[in-house]
Amino acid sequence: MIPRAVAAVWWLAVTTVLVLSTFAVRDRLPDPMATHWSGSLPDGSNSLTGHLITSTAIWAVLGVGLVASAARAQARRVPRMTWWSMLFGMGTLLIGAQVSTLAANLDVPEWTAATLPGWHIPAVLAGMLAVMGLAAVLAKGEPDEPSPGNLEPPVLKLRSGQRAVWVGRVVNRKITWAVVAAFAVTVLMAVSGLRGQGQSLVSAILPGAIILLLVGLATMAVSVRVGDGVIRIGFGPFGWPARHIKLSAVESAWAEERSPAETGGWGFRGLPGAATIMLRGGECLVLRYRSGGQLAISIDDAERGAALINALIAERAQT
Amino acid sequence: MLLTLDLNDARPLHEQVAGAIRRAIGEGSYRPGDRLPPARDLAGALGINSNTVLRALRELRDEGLLEFRRGRGVSVAGRADGRALLVQRARELLEEGKRYGYSRDDLITILEGLT
Repeated sequence: MIPRAVAAVWWLAVTTVLVLSTFAVRDRLPDPMATHWSGSLPDGSNSLTGHLITSTAIWAVLGVGLVASAARAQARRVPRMTWWSMLFGMGTLLIGAQVSTLAANLDVPEWTAATLPGWHIPAVLAGMLAVMGLAAVLAKGEPDEPSPGNLEPPVLKLRSGQRAVWVGRVVNRKITWAVVAAFAVTVLMAVSGLRGQGQSLVSAILPGAIILLLVGLATMAVSVRVGDGVIRIGFGPFGWPARHIKLSAVESAWAEERSPAETGGWGFRGLPGAATIMLRGGECLVLRYRSGGQLAISIDDAERGAALINALIAERAQT
Repeated sequence: MLLTLDLNDARPLHEQVAGAIRRAIGEGSYRPGDRLPPARDLAGALGINSNTVLRALRELRDEGLLEFRRGRGVSVAGRADGRALLVQRARELLEEGKRYGYSRDDLITILEGLT
């Protein structure tokens, strides 16, 4: 409840500053006023009301997102630090941008005469980063409790003379559709490029579409195989390329619920010692290496996979 | 999907694979409507030919346990057939009994002793 209340109070405070600062110097501003610059020269303008609506609307959208994610973000350290630094960092950024905009427009006859001093943007960004850093440090709090699976890894009894393998797979439908779209664009661009039409458009879009296609293909599906002393992680619909992890390098495995908000988004996410292959929120297979690092893979039926990995590790230890 | 094969099992491989899949579904790791990993993945993990896995999958489809749909792969159609599962467990029990020196008749006596 407290983070949400703090977020609401901070949101109101920033909104008040945004609105009141504008009204305080209203008589000294041109209307329309300069709201966008390239270099130090203004290249965009907006009416006073329009500018006020834009900045409060941006802040409102951020505020809704932050309040909605307030409760979920607190449980673990990384999301908690991210949430608090976003809350105060984004507010600082908006206030800084507002102050800078008002200062540049102050006492000029026309918006075209409002020049932006070069130090404004670095100063605002530095202020934002300082606030974000401070908020992150203050929100650091207690280290994460080890997950229950971490304490009691699932086990499975293997009989001698038995061969056990586990196959898990997960497919992200949204990324699949993105791959289909990227493929269509790639083919379209390649065909029109070969026919010599719209060369400038083709050269602008084709490389991006190919990159999107390759990244999408690698992240639309993941399959994991356990057996024969190896954990094989295959990327993409064809399970290739693949990464092989020797069971001898793994200390234990367990299943855990994780969400993209905790890991920093979808795809291949890396934090030192805690890399994640996140295709969808929910059940993840977590491996802890003997070297101390962890690898989490979002996959269906992770509990059974973890149980087999632990059983195979125990079997190796005996022989 | 966790699949276990008995290395001493003398039955044809496709039957063993079908048994392993039936057991995995029977144990509740897959619910009706869930999609199975592709046959290629299962075959790769078991180190056997894809066609053997496909044959096992077709057997299970004929049994009504699996459903093949174009473009959607293989999914679980219904709960594992109770009888098929029991036959399989009984076969496993028989083999385990053999290992400990109990004959078929000994096991029947044990079963009759249970009320």
